[in-house]
Amino acid sequence: MKFNKDRNWLAKRAEQEDRHFISVGGLISRIDPEWQAEVSSMPNVETTKTAFVRLLQLARRERRLSLEQLAQKADVDLGELVKIESDESFKPTPRTIHQLAEFLKLPAKKLMVLAGLLQVKDFGLQQASVRFAARSEPVEDVSPEEHAALEEYVKFLNEQ
Amino acid sequence: MRETIQIIDTQTGEPVDAEIFDEVALTHFIETQAEWRPVILAAARALSQQPNQGLLIPRHFHWDWTRKEAELKLLAVKFYGLAHEGKLQGIMKVETVAHSCRLPEQQGKPLVYIDYVESAPWNIKKLMAALGQPQRFRAVGTRLFEAAVLQSREEGFRGRLGLHSLPGSEGFYINECGMTPVGRDPHKQNLLWCEFTPEQAERYLAGE
Repeated sequence: MKFNKDRNWLAKRAEQEDRHFISVGGLISRIDPEWQAEVSSMPNVETTKTAFVRLLQLARRERRLSLEQLAQKADVDLGELVKIESDESFKPTPRTIHQLAEFLKLPAKKLMVLAGLLQVKDFGLQQASVRFAARSEPVEDVSPEEHAALEEYVKFLNEQ
Repeated sequence: MRETIQIIDTQTGEPVDAEIFDEVALTHFIETQAEWRPVILAAARALSQQPNQGLLIPRHFHWDWTRKEAELKLLAVKFYGLAHEGKLQGIMKVETVAHSCRLPEQQGKPLVYIDYVESAPWNIKKLMAALGQPQRFRAVGTRLFEAAVLQSREEGFRGRLGLHSLPGSEGFYINECGMTPVGRDPHKQNLLWCEFTPEQAERYLAGE
């Protein structure tokens, strides 16, 4: 494809675009009340985020991987992985979550929700995340109870 | 297809390199959903509170992008993405089979149909104005529209292009791009069907 390289053409077209919307295809007649409700009834991001960090820590430790090894195996940035595990307010990139989902064999969309990148109404996920977060602690060894909680949570994520 | 093009950085007013590509994947849809949607929702709310704006919300403001994965596999459908430093700035969906020309002089001839085209909300001046925030990049929609015209050429459709313009966009497609307003489509919410002839497409590409 041969795109126009002329700066004046680009400036003129940008000026034209800025004066309008460019949307095509179709309208919704109003902001759907359900859509509004969807936003106000989102899963509690803090809870799902805690569950996400715990899930990552336990899944990593179960595989006996250091952060560096996980970063290498999942092909993600080590710095980002460190931030995910140490700072719950950190917002990871969609690519990193996609890579982690592939490595951990988990549904990417679910992981996006847990990581706070996607907002969907899913009370089952919310409840399962609360249960999981409550039953796991970020300690060195994975206890049998934690192992069971991890297995149950991973099964739940893969089932839905 | 992946090509380097230029868009305008509003912070410097200068052109910057960006990439336009057609290998759009689910991760791009998820990025759209995760990054764009909260801004779009906030802007839609702000716009809906302005006089005469509340009834004109584009349907894609409401799309669940993660459910659109199946469309990536359709042969007659193509998605284009535009990214700057890896961050998605615009996306477009075109079709080549479902629609044909309606203008009498080219009735029935094949065209490229733009089903969806949008910049990231932070690149839409009017949306950012509604939120009281500055626009980030300019000419993103322009570049995607240009890609649709170029695809039409490559498909052998000689630049023929069609779309259903939303009311707020009609001025852009008719007055700025030079498309012909053919008529309102009762099967498509009475939206205005606009079309490019090969001559109009060439004039657009040349900047006339």
